[in-house]
Amino acid sequence: MTEYLIRRTLQSILVMLLITVVTFILIHAAPGGPKQIYLSPNLSPEAAERQAANLGLDRPLPVQYFDWLGDLLRGDLGYTFKNNLPVGDLIWPTVGNTMILMGAAWLLSLIIAIPWGIYNSTREYGFSDQTASFIAYVGFAMPSFWFGIILQELFALKWDLLPLSDMWSMGKEGDIGDLLMHMVLPVSVLTLGFLAGYVKYARSSMLEVLDQDYIRTARAKGLGERRVVFRHALRNALIPVITVLGLDLPILVAGAALTENVFNWPGMGRMFVQMATQREYSVLMATTILIAFFVIIGNLIADILYAVVDPRVKLGRKGGASA
Amino acid sequence: MTQNLLEVRNLTTGFHTERGFVKATDRVSLAIQEGQTLCIVGESGSGKSVTSLAIMRLIDYAGGFIESGEVLFKGDNLAAKKQTDMMRIRGSKMSMIFQDPMSALNPVFSVGDQIAETLRIHKHMSDKAAWNKAVEMLRLVGIPSPEIRARQYPHEMSGGMCQRVVIAMALACDPELLIADEPTTALDVTVQAQILDLLAKLKRELNTSILLITHDMGVAAEIADRIAVMYAGAIVEEGAVDEVFEQPRHPYTIGLLRSIPGIEGERGGELYTIKGSIPSINELPSGCRFHPRCPHVMERCLREEPPLMADERGHRAACWLDEVPKEGA
Amino acid sequence: MSDTAAPVTVKGVKRAVSERPPGLWKTGWKKFSRNPFAMAGLVIVTLFVLSAVGARWIAPYDPAQIDMMFPNLPAGSEGHLLGTDELGRDIFSRLIYSSQISLLVGFSVAIVAVVIGTFIGAVSGYFGGWVDTIFMRFVDVMNAIPLLFLNILILTIFGSKFWYMILILGFTGWMGVARLVRGTFLQLREMQYVEAARAIGVSDWGIIIRHLLRNASAPIIVNATLMVGGAILSESALSYLGLGVQPPDTSWGLMLSNSREFMLVDPIQAVYPGLCILIVVLSVNFIGDGLRDALDPRKKAFKPRKGLGK
Repeated sequence: MTEYLIRRTLQSILVMLLITVVTFILIHAAPGGPKQIYLSPNLSPEAAERQAANLGLDRPLPVQYFDWLGDLLRGDLGYTFKNNLPVGDLIWPTVGNTMILMGAAWLLSLIIAIPWGIYNSTREYGFSDQTASFIAYVGFAMPSFWFGIILQELFALKWDLLPLSDMWSMGKEGDIGDLLMHMVLPVSVLTLGFLAGYVKYARSSMLEVLDQDYIRTARAKGLGERRVVFRHALRNALIPVITVLGLDLPILVAGAALTENVFNWPGMGRMFVQMATQREYSVLMATTILIAFFVIIGNLIADILYAVVDPRVKLGRKGGASA
Repeated sequence: MTQNLLEVRNLTTGFHTERGFVKATDRVSLAIQEGQTLCIVGESGSGKSVTSLAIMRLIDYAGGFIESGEVLFKGDNLAAKKQTDMMRIRGSKMSMIFQDPMSALNPVFSVGDQIAETLRIHKHMSDKAAWNKAVEMLRLVGIPSPEIRARQYPHEMSGGMCQRVVIAMALACDPELLIADEPTTALDVTVQAQILDLLAKLKRELNTSILLITHDMGVAAEIADRIAVMYAGAIVEEGAVDEVFEQPRHPYTIGLLRSIPGIEGERGGELYTIKGSIPSINELPSGCRFHPRCPHVMERCLREEPPLMADERGHRAACWLDEVPKEGA
Repeated sequence: MSDTAAPVTVKGVKRAVSERPPGLWKTGWKKFSRNPFAMAGLVIVTLFVLSAVGARWIAPYDPAQIDMMFPNLPAGSEGHLLGTDELGRDIFSRLIYSSQISLLVGFSVAIVAVVIGTFIGAVSGYFGGWVDTIFMRFVDVMNAIPLLFLNILILTIFGSKFWYMILILGFTGWMGVARLVRGTFLQLREMQYVEAARAIGVSDWGIIIRHLLRNASAPIIVNATLMVGGAILSESALSYLGLGVQPPDTSWGLMLSNSREFMLVDPIQAVYPGLCILIVVLSVNFIGDGLRDALDPRKKAFKPRKGLGK
């Protein structure tokens, strides 16, 4: 177990380092190179030269890379062109807001999806199963931001039941009830997106497990159906679902980014798009690296959970597969 | 005559498929007396496993069902029972072991836990008592240092060990009937013998009746009191083990016996094979189901299906040859 | 759905192998054509492709033609089937011209991604060793970065040109295909016929192209089809955020972004482009699923349930 964890952690660190390399190369491959990215377009040519030298942009690439990496590790993410603000000050406040939105939708969809998937696995091709399959098809094919717009038009504009956008109403910052009202629509959009996949995973994973020999053994032991499904099958069925949850994280974050833009939610996604239109490259790169970091941590947690649930991993037999 | 512990009467089972109803067994009748071992022998596809699943009523979960016939267990018809009632019988009065022991155990629970679960369910034992009994059972089936082994997971054990665990689990509640479906097929030859010895020993000690499913005549010879030979979903011969081995009456049984290496073909060089292959039960030939492969086929075999005909010692066979006076067999 | 009923049969019920089995593609088409969802998808996608190709003749107006006399006309107005937008442009014409961009992006991205993914997967799976390790770590890296963010970052750095978008979406979408091809190659390269080909002196690339790729073609095609839908969604998302297709070009995502500013005045405008995306992606996915079911050789045989017969 320990050995497995150490190996997985080392692997994660390696992937993280590679991500910084890719991002670094990206900056230097850009037309105009890093000067265009790091220097404000408003500087005079002489001032630009001076600042480039200041930032060390004339030094060899590897030196620059390790310098930049060192800054990253120290938490120094650079400064914006506009107002010369520290990039960290822009990013950190948005992280929590995104987490609230994503976390709520993610939990909600899991709470709905796992029981629903299990139920469907015991009644293959029944009404509930067909409904889930329909939702999955639509959910995969529908642009989430469009669904958001439609919900806004109906629930906020036409019926005036829920707030149109933002996280708080004016002057109500900190009011939990107000926050919840604002969360209903974006969380619904995200939940539908996540739900579609999870019901399918839970169902197919459960079906596969129910087909296993040890389930027949459990029945041959005289166990009741409920005990067979919930004690013997469920734990085995959750093992692959956990892995998928980890691997799906990047898709979830991207979905959250779009939804944030539709609902004007002050999270990382909205900030990212705003900064993109203002060409604040330092902010974009720092955010990309940060999100990749979260994703890798998420994958690592999923793998640890996997090891906790599946005793076979403790021997390290299964661990080697690339994440 | 002692009472029959299990009596199967005209059991016809099948599965619903895309192409409609597919029969798996055809009017199978057999009986096991208390303390006896009955072996069902046949090639794969002959319906022997389906028969065992039908007796346990596990066939319901595999997409199949009992179409007609009775399964009398101590006079009680299991075929007519509800699954909730079957749950009380399965694992306590009648239990089952399977072909592949590695996949028959749940990978996420310790083996001790899996044995103890049976005891908790059927005997309503406390966790502690059930665990202690589970360790006892592991010792009984010959697992060394059972206290430690009980805490291990199936993947930490060898195939033979796993099969011992499965046997311990099946016998934990002192069942009257143990159904073993190819219990040695997935194991190494040396381990096979150990498991068979263990079954024979436990049968003597616990006075359990055994229904053993196998494709291996050698296994049957070693452990059986009676043998039933199945072919294409039906029993074609059934009788006491010595009689079936010494005076087989059905040409299929004769073929099976002659194709065992080491019994007859030892010096003969070439091994005997039965020509052709087992037909699908839905595409059965007319008359006798064995006639296309039978070396003694007669005109009558094409027209009429032979019933199981018993001789004076209860040795039954479904073959018209029996009616023809034999010359030196 | 014809193949939804769980096929159950007894193991050992062997079918008589009398005639020579027909080829994969022929039986595939037979199964595909019997799948109503897949066929409906195929018809709808064909219709969209035809209208995109013939946009010039089908669309009643120039999609960029501004007519400030008649802004925000409701659907069913005289001469404007679906009304006009805030600048008086004909919505129906804009939808048709948008389908050009959306479909072009969808199919091109799928092709680019399949070419890259197949190459990397093939090299990785066939040669193995350190080549494989490096490529697979690279796949890990790409998978850990949320692609929407990466796409926005790259588009911001390089500029939002239409062809850039196709290349960028392709360059960031190949990982699934690479994994798939690598997996297939890992299995196939151990096969006897590969050994045999090597023994008679067929070159590595000869083996990869002639023997291995041909055997991996069915899953690649299925994957490519499913990728078309994903690419259309990505394009619409980027365009919606203002980082993809730029005016005066038009795409469904851009139309949605446009309609949002006028959702108080004319909410129905937001419905059409989204519906188009939904219908096209749904159809493409149905085709993909239909292909998968039709080309999967394992599905040809009845899958016996575990624990029977024997």
